[in-house]
Amino acid sequence: MSDSPAILVRGLRKSYGAVEAVRGIDFEVASGEVFGLLGPNGAGKTTTIEILEGIRQRTAGEVRVLGFDPDKQKTDLKDRIGVCLQATNLPDKIKVIEALQLFGSLYSRTLDADLLLKRLQLEEKRDAFYHTLSGGQKQRLAIALGLINDPALFFLDEPTTGLDPQVRLEIHLLIEQLRSEKRSILLTTHYIEEAERLCDRVAIIDSGRIIAIGSPAELKERSSGKSAVGIVCKRPFDAAALPEWPGAITTRVTGDRSLTVSSLRPAQTLVEIIKWVEAQGLGLEDVHLSRPTLEDVFIELTGKKLRE
Amino acid sequence: MKQYVAVIRNDLRLAMRQKAVLFFNYLMPLTFFFIFAQAFHAEQGGAILQVVTMVSVIGILGNGLFGAGMRSVQDREANILRRYKVAPISPLPLLVAAMVTGLVLYMPYVALMLSLAKFRYGMPTPPNLISVILFITLGVVAIRSIGLIIASVVNSMQESGILVQIVYMTMLFLSGATFPTATFPAWLLTASQFIPSTWLVTGLQGILMRQESIIDNWQAVGALLGTTVVGLLLSVKLFRWEKEEKIRPAGKLWVLAVLVPFVLLGSWQAYAKDNVRKIKVLDRQMSRTRTMLIRNARIFVGNGRVIENGAVLVKDGRIAEVYEGNIPDEKSVNAAVVEGAGKTILPGLIDTHVHLGSPGGFMDAADWQKYDANQAVQRALAAYLYSGVIAVRSLGDQLDVALAARQMINGGEKLGAELFLAGPLFTTPGGHGTEYAGRLPEFTRDQFNAGFLRMPKTPEEARRQVDGLKKSGVDAIKAILELGAGETTFNRLDPRILHAIAAAAKANGLPLLVHTGDSRDVEDAIAARAAGIEHGSMRQAIPDADFLAMAKAGMSYDPTLSVGAAFADFAAGRLDAINRSLVQQTATRELLAGTRKMMESPENAKMRESIGKYPASSAIAADNLRRAYAAGVLLVTGSDAGNPLVIHGPTVQRELELWVAAGIPNAVALQAATLNAARALNAGQRFGSIEKGKEASLLVVDGNPLQDIHATEAISFVLFKGERISRSELFKQN
Repeated sequence: MSDSPAILVRGLRKSYGAVEAVRGIDFEVASGEVFGLLGPNGAGKTTTIEILEGIRQRTAGEVRVLGFDPDKQKTDLKDRIGVCLQATNLPDKIKVIEALQLFGSLYSRTLDADLLLKRLQLEEKRDAFYHTLSGGQKQRLAIALGLINDPALFFLDEPTTGLDPQVRLEIHLLIEQLRSEKRSILLTTHYIEEAERLCDRVAIIDSGRIIAIGSPAELKERSSGKSAVGIVCKRPFDAAALPEWPGAITTRVTGDRSLTVSSLRPAQTLVEIIKWVEAQGLGLEDVHLSRPTLEDVFIELTGKKLRE
Repeated sequence: MKQYVAVIRNDLRLAMRQKAVLFFNYLMPLTFFFIFAQAFHAEQGGAILQVVTMVSVIGILGNGLFGAGMRSVQDREANILRRYKVAPISPLPLLVAAMVTGLVLYMPYVALMLSLAKFRYGMPTPPNLISVILFITLGVVAIRSIGLIIASVVNSMQESGILVQIVYMTMLFLSGATFPTATFPAWLLTASQFIPSTWLVTGLQGILMRQESIIDNWQAVGALLGTTVVGLLLSVKLFRWEKEEKIRPAGKLWVLAVLVPFVLLGSWQAYAKDNVRKIKVLDRQMSRTRTMLIRNARIFVGNGRVIENGAVLVKDGRIAEVYEGNIPDEKSVNAAVVEGAGKTILPGLIDTHVHLGSPGGFMDAADWQKYDANQAVQRALAAYLYSGVIAVRSLGDQLDVALAARQMINGGEKLGAELFLAGPLFTTPGGHGTEYAGRLPEFTRDQFNAGFLRMPKTPEEARRQVDGLKKSGVDAIKAILELGAGETTFNRLDPRILHAIAAAAKANGLPLLVHTGDSRDVEDAIAARAAGIEHGSMRQAIPDADFLAMAKAGMSYDPTLSVGAAFADFAAGRLDAINRSLVQQTATRELLAGTRKMMESPENAKMRESIGKYPASSAIAADNLRRAYAAGVLLVTGSDAGNPLVIHGPTVQRELELWVAAGIPNAVALQAATLNAARALNAGQRFGSIEKGKEASLLVVDGNPLQDIHATEAISFVLFKGERISRSELFKQN
């Protein structure tokens, strides 16, 4: 099992009438890998993940999830995967433990509900009604429900959307824990940090197509924005009299005491700039080197910001 | 299976935590139960069964439509169903759980309600409790499946609310769940047969009130099962997990699909009408179950006894108790009270000799065109009941018409005097009875005579004909011995054939009543061991020896003085018969006007003259009656209504007046019209006297008929099989 991929997608397409939501995408998720689908709202992330979960029919292409065809082996597939959907609810008057027991009874194999609650730090809420839970607790319960069948593959659709930063952090820690258990995970997100922090590999998806795929580091490497060197001087300098530094691509002056230089060879450029500051006797107040982010990559690839 | 159990358990647990569920399943129906029980006076008899039926159906509708119809939409709208969508579960367990939950929630209420009905309102335990439970179960799942379909075709809670209300209100108000539908106009009653809850109501009523089984209600059971299956299958097909999945507006028409079994049933009923009939019968039965105490009245028991101050307790259609003094408090007997001071309670009167096929008067040709034999018979029976005559025996009518009327009236579908019938007359070619067809168009005569006459040529044929009538269901056999007199003469039935008829009647357990014209006829009838003599003789004194023989043999004597007096009136041109108040109240306008016109027309003079020549004498008839009484013969009161100027209605009162005028004591005459007549009908065990256990068919009159026989016409009210008759409604039955 560890050799065959957890998910295999080839030429996947999905149209709703005349609208093409997914326009032919390919990717693989290896067993034990955490894979992220990153893209803005309406990019086709949810459609894709729902096709993989067996709750939406594909229009064309080949899909294998844990070796099952989601269109034809729905029940077998659903029995082996865990899903944490965006925007689901439970009845107000169901207790946490009852929800776990109820959903546990739908699967052929089930984890111990109390142990699961402990792991998700919900044991205090064991007998609380659903409607008394906080947003974070509800989301942790949703994750617990997804894990109740000890799934080989776990889908998380926008697991932290709409949660406050503290709760988001909690969820991140939880997902990192799952990752350490060697479960395969597919998550969708439109938070760059989330993808960067949690994913082994990320596919950037926009308008139904994958426009880049790789580890976060690889993707950043490919960014043409590259690194930037920034300095702040103690005394003002003459912006018109700046020299040409080796490796520099652009130079941007802010006010009369600071400047930012983007560079193909940031280390060399930095050394030259510091030499120049000392030669001019400007006095160095601050210096920093910034690396490219996935967001930069995204903006570069799609020409738009992610959280529009 | 594990999934079903888990989902059902969860549904039940959640339902128990919902206040609305408890409200709709327990509090609301119980409130209705107590309100209806108060309003219908459930403590006063069988109305509790009606209340149980109505409240059960109200509960089933609320449980099914609001429970299933709205909750599943709520779950979809709140993104709860979405969570199930990613689990390995199909819609079926969820839908089945919704049904089972409804059922499990509802059944304790049924038990609670039945216990309350039994212990608080004295409802007898239904003997077929299993049918009751099964039928209610079926009702719950069927109505819930309609609820599920509604949930399947709406796109929002709002739509669901509207659709549920429409279906709920229709089912509530047109089914009989809130008020009885028996009084609906015919078209609405037919339309109500398309509504599932109508079948719930009639089915439950039938099972509770008529001890029907679930199998007797196979039509309703089939339709409810059909709706359940179609509803479940369609709900699976139309199931939507997410609110984003919308159904097209035309999809709402699927609701009609679950109603298909009832559309079929309704269409069938539009033709067959047996459920409409059942509704009317059930309504009738309902009206007959009230508890009533008539007190402080004089009671003419019927067997010769008179209670000067007493009371009668009526319960479930029967006389539950007769009190002489010591009249109980109405609270202690849970009864509606009727004050009877100054009134006399009589057993309902009985006319042992009528012909329903003719109206007893004349009508214009145009009105004859509109005359419908079946309707006329019904109306005649209604006129009798209006007049306090609770049973009549037809001694010579079209067999099929009489049988149809008997089924309709005695079954309870329509109100009228109970009908006993002989069907056709046994006579001989050229004999009395054969002359009537002569007045009809020639091409209809054979058909008329086939239903009206039997003219056996041999004893063997006579036996076969009596056997045939027995199979048809007649209550008696009527034979005619009559030579006629004056200008009107007839061939007379061969006494050997009369003997064969009598033997066959006896073998079949049917009383033989013989029309007689003179004393020889009476003697031949006695020799044939007939059960009774009709008319006796109006032209000849019957020897005392014959009366003594009749008394010894227990034969009844029915002098029919009314028809003799009517002939005299006719000959004299007197209109007294149609001017009587009760006749004016009961006869049709056409008949009264036509008879008056005929009597006053100059052409009638010749007919009057011819009738006047017939050698009949009221004095001879009266004398025969007096001597029959002296000999101790069982006397009964027949009027021979249907003959000219003997109009269906207060015929017994007229007969009684003639008897009293002839010198018969009031009490003797009244007993002849009640207990004696009931015995002659072989119905003395059921009615005819005011005794515990007998049917509560009573005539309550103002005054004291024991002193003044005319008081029998001063009707206060009529009770028929326990129902206080709304007399003014009798002629409006559709």
